[in-house]
Amino acid sequence: MSRWIRFFLAIALGAAAGLLYGWLVNPVKYVDTTPDTLRVDYKSDYVLMVAEAYRAETDLALAARRLALLGDTPPAEIVRQATLFAESQGYTDADVVLMRNLQAALQSWTPSQETPYP
Amino acid sequence: MSDQRGPWYLLTGLVIGAVLGVLYAWGVQPVKYTNTTPASLRTDFKDQYRALIASAYMADGDLVRARARLDLLKDADVYQVLAEQAQRTLANASQTGGGAMQEARALGVLAVALGQPVATVAVSLSPLPQESSPSPSPAPNTLTPTPPTLPATPVATSPSPGTSSVTAQATPLATAAMTPSPTITRLPTRTFTPTPGAPFALKSEELACSPDQKIPLIILQTYDAAGQGVPGVEVVVNWDGGENRFFTGLKPELGLGYADFTMTPSVVYTLRLAEGGQIIPNLSASECEAADGSRYWGSWLLIFEQP
Repeated sequence: MSRWIRFFLAIALGAAAGLLYGWLVNPVKYVDTTPDTLRVDYKSDYVLMVAEAYRAETDLALAARRLALLGDTPPAEIVRQATLFAESQGYTDADVVLMRNLQAALQSWTPSQETPYP
Repeated sequence: MSDQRGPWYLLTGLVIGAVLGVLYAWGVQPVKYTNTTPASLRTDFKDQYRALIASAYMADGDLVRARARLDLLKDADVYQVLAEQAQRTLANASQTGGGAMQEARALGVLAVALGQPVATVAVSLSPLPQESSPSPSPAPNTLTPTPPTLPATPVATSPSPGTSSVTAQATPLATAAMTPSPTITRLPTRTFTPTPGAPFALKSEELACSPDQKIPLIILQTYDAAGQGVPGVEVVVNWDGGENRFFTGLKPELGLGYADFTMTPSVVYTLRLAEGGQIIPNLSASECEAADGSRYWGSWLLIFEQP
């Protein structure tokens, strides 16, 4: 085996060791994550909380602000996806109804209706 | 390459490869956690998550659900964290507006509720997210969430006559990757709101002298007709050029109806409960005298009771 081949084999071996170290032994750690990276079931529960709070507060702008933490997707779409997940996972009817109500309210809501924070 | 240079080239290759590998693993294609848990959220997002839990609790009064949600944040001392956030929110309320007052109250009420013993009442509950560590997935550039581990499907339960609790057996879904399902005992729902009804009346007002107390306080205790401390009562203190609002129950270790306010000497305060009741005027820092003739600040102790 020529020296060049062995040299490149050594590089490959080193790269493999580096990947092993970087991915498994000491991977990048995410400790300060944002809500949009939450797992789908946590997101769904988050949306349910927003829906529960909305039922009592009836503040659509506040609900939309809370939902905005889950990403750039329109709030109504976020709620729709969460509702689908909730239905597929056997959430209680009452909870699904809450989420549907919030979704319906958000569909007719536009951000210009929002009252800014003082 | 000359044979006289020996095997060092192999070591050189290894080092170059290792550096490239680490650069790739950390810089180009690092591990991405796409399915994170609330516990990994940044502190400010955790605060918002916690506030939302409290708001949802105020809406539905479901303490079990609120507790389960708070557990997801993995706070070392849930109660302490809630109480601190409530006070922080209250302190910032003047800048952030009226919504912050409601939020502070919700946080405080939830903190107090968590400090209470739990009775057993049936509630119906949607499956809450089940905790598991986010799975590191090297190099995903697109979000491909792993199937959520929500193995429990609630079984319709009906309380048996004569029993005060219901145990719902979580039934696992028929999937190969299911995790063992816990037996979930549904615990009660309770809502903590100040006792409605008659306004609080001042039962006693006295100067409490304790040499250990170095700063002058207004100490407030609110009790219902049964003599139980009442948390969540909003208190308003006014003085010349200022106002402060706070709630009872944010220091439950001192009593559910407890609240205190630090006075500045030579300032005269007026205190009232926000939801009506007697106004207590002319409260100011007063001194007490110890046995040896030394003087120290006393605290005004106000006891409010619902008739």
